[in-house]
Amino acid sequence: MITNQKINNFIEKIPPAPKALQVTIALLNQGELIKAAQIAETDNALKSYLKNIVNKPIYGFRNEVTEVSQIFGILGVSSSQQTVYNYMMTLLSPDKWILFNLNSVKFYELQAKLSRRWKTILNHLNITDIDIESAVTLLPASIIVADALFGEKKDDVELIRGTTNIDLNTILSRLCNNDLFDICEKIAKRWDMPPKIAKIVQASSGIKPSDNNELNTLGKWMHLLLFYELSQPMFIESGLNDFIEFNVEYVEDIYEEFATLIGIES
Amino acid sequence: MRAVVKDGIGVFTPQGFLDGDTSHVFLTMDDMEATVKLNVCMILVSLKKVIFFNRNGLDTFVKLFEKIKAHSHIKVGFCDYDIKKFNAINNFYKDEIAFSLFASYDIAVLFASNLEHKQLNVLIYNMDKSQRSAMAIELHDNGHNPIITQSKEEFKKKKNLEKTYDIIIEHTFLGQMGANIATRVTGNAIIYTVSSFLDAEVSNKFDITYHTNSLNVGFRLFIFDAYKVVSMNIHALNFFSKLSASAAEYNATICFVGLTFEKIQLSFKETLEDSGILFFDQMDDILGNKKLLNELGASSAANGKLKRVLNKGIVSELPQFIEATVATIEMMTNAKAQKDSAKVDKIIIEDTTDKIASSIGFYGDIDGMVILVFPREIAKKACSLLIGEETNDMEQILDTLAELVNIVGGKIKTLLSEEHINVSITLPRTYNDIDSLLEITQERKGVQVDLSFSDDKFLFFLTR
Repeated sequence: MITNQKINNFIEKIPPAPKALQVTIALLNQGELIKAAQIAETDNALKSYLKNIVNKPIYGFRNEVTEVSQIFGILGVSSSQQTVYNYMMTLLSPDKWILFNLNSVKFYELQAKLSRRWKTILNHLNITDIDIESAVTLLPASIIVADALFGEKKDDVELIRGTTNIDLNTILSRLCNNDLFDICEKIAKRWDMPPKIAKIVQASSGIKPSDNNELNTLGKWMHLLLFYELSQPMFIESGLNDFIEFNVEYVEDIYEEFATLIGIES
Repeated sequence: MRAVVKDGIGVFTPQGFLDGDTSHVFLTMDDMEATVKLNVCMILVSLKKVIFFNRNGLDTFVKLFEKIKAHSHIKVGFCDYDIKKFNAINNFYKDEIAFSLFASYDIAVLFASNLEHKQLNVLIYNMDKSQRSAMAIELHDNGHNPIITQSKEEFKKKKNLEKTYDIIIEHTFLGQMGANIATRVTGNAIIYTVSSFLDAEVSNKFDITYHTNSLNVGFRLFIFDAYKVVSMNIHALNFFSKLSASAAEYNATICFVGLTFEKIQLSFKETLEDSGILFFDQMDDILGNKKLLNELGASSAANGKLKRVLNKGIVSELPQFIEATVATIEMMTNAKAQKDSAKVDKIIIEDTTDKIASSIGFYGDIDGMVILVFPREIAKKACSLLIGEETNDMEQILDTLAELVNIVGGKIKTLLSEEHINVSITLPRTYNDIDSLLEITQERKGVQVDLSFSDDKFLFFLTR
């Protein structure tokens, strides 16, 4: 159904990050917000994406923000880098989703929600690491990869999943010894994302806890955050709720803290 | 959301957070009805992957349960929860629980009615005496050996006795159970359980499609467990007489066990006997008597007078059946599957040692049965995607083979529907040795196709 050859073809087709993006990220890393904004302004698609995403209600800005310099200024260095990485992920997303009932509006919404709530979590945990803040941007790549690999085999996937309780990650892992999160790691390498990002996202799969305590804890928060978002009506309707398996035991020890932070009323 | 259907039970597994805003999106009436159409006897919502729920979240499901129960007599409820979730549900609904609660899927399976049950020793505890009794009755009806404990202390003591019980039931609640006629399979006999007063309703509660398919796939002995029948009227009499007459066309036998005629006219018994129905006092009189079982046809389906032959309709669709099988094997193994040879004949299996098989029936615009025969190790390979890890557990291998053939059945259904041929598929059946398969098929002609993937050979047989 899916072979390593198909996975390799998918990885090979991923274009390198556009020059403007590479420079923007490098400048953001140096804290050069104004110079980064000037470069970002030259990429119309990036500019349009930034405007679209930061004006979503979850960002909470009262007035529409239109200039990239303004956007970067309000977001600060780490959130600006996070948003640029989010844009890079959209370059991977398909024009037409097959497996999931998604479109660019819904996908951007998911990115925005994950990013803002991840920021809230990191504030709560007193973490200010710029790379850790950007880690959440790699998470939706697992959804893009799942759609790209399983989309053509939608009927077969439904047949299997109507017979046995198996998620896409497990199917892929059993067929190819590679799972969705391994492929995310390959994407991160191709785009020269800091290694820490892939490690957190691997732990957030819920099946590969990290040996590093800090990264593992972050993996738990990210796993729980992902399923909090995937339990929202828009994403249930999109067919995302069960694309990977939710590991309740993995996140049990942080659940109460998460529920209080996010404001879940029992 | 789509249910996973296994063992005649449809299970929905939402993940994450359930509240009033989300649960109606997780599960809709259409999802429920689509599952009912798959001939399930039970529909459950698993709470295993749910980390948070509130009353509003569960209410949506409970309302759907009520609607389903109102028109289909299917057992409904929740399963796979811990004590915390069990207590929360009880707090939400207190004395108004009209659905069932099964602490685990394995416990739910014990109460499912259309399964081939192994006789299991089941330890039961429930604070409510009527619940304890209801569970014991249901379990007994399903062929198990229930052991009721009367107090928490007694339960704790017995629970700790290692290996004494196959399964332990606590934190479980039986809501109003389905009012349909429960069905179970014992060896090659099918047992239907009927109770109270039998009237015209019996024809509504009896799943005639399931019965006909059972005849088609080779069952020849049907037993009505009638210990709890009080009486019957002329409508029920007519129903059973007709059922017996139609079974005779397949050389099948219908028996009643435990039916007393204290409140039933004796002339009814004569009428039923005239239509070919046999009467026994105890279930063991039949099931414990191998010679009698042979005579009644429960050990050999090959006795059938009606030898159904392949027809043009089914043979012309042979490519679809092969394609469904080949595509499924390729999907499961990532290996190229191919057809080696084909012939029309009775099934020929040269070396029967260490081979297992699975079959699935289909009915509708065309009807028949697909059988796959694998060497045991090859079956494991073919099912590796579903099994996941190395196993020599025969029960698990057979279960997974049933899932595989179920997927083949689903694929056949899809391919035929593209040609506007509508069929439904039966539950898959497995055979842990070839002798039991041959009892069903040895006299039947069919199309035998030798197939292989990665040089591993297996056999496909299409028959009626």
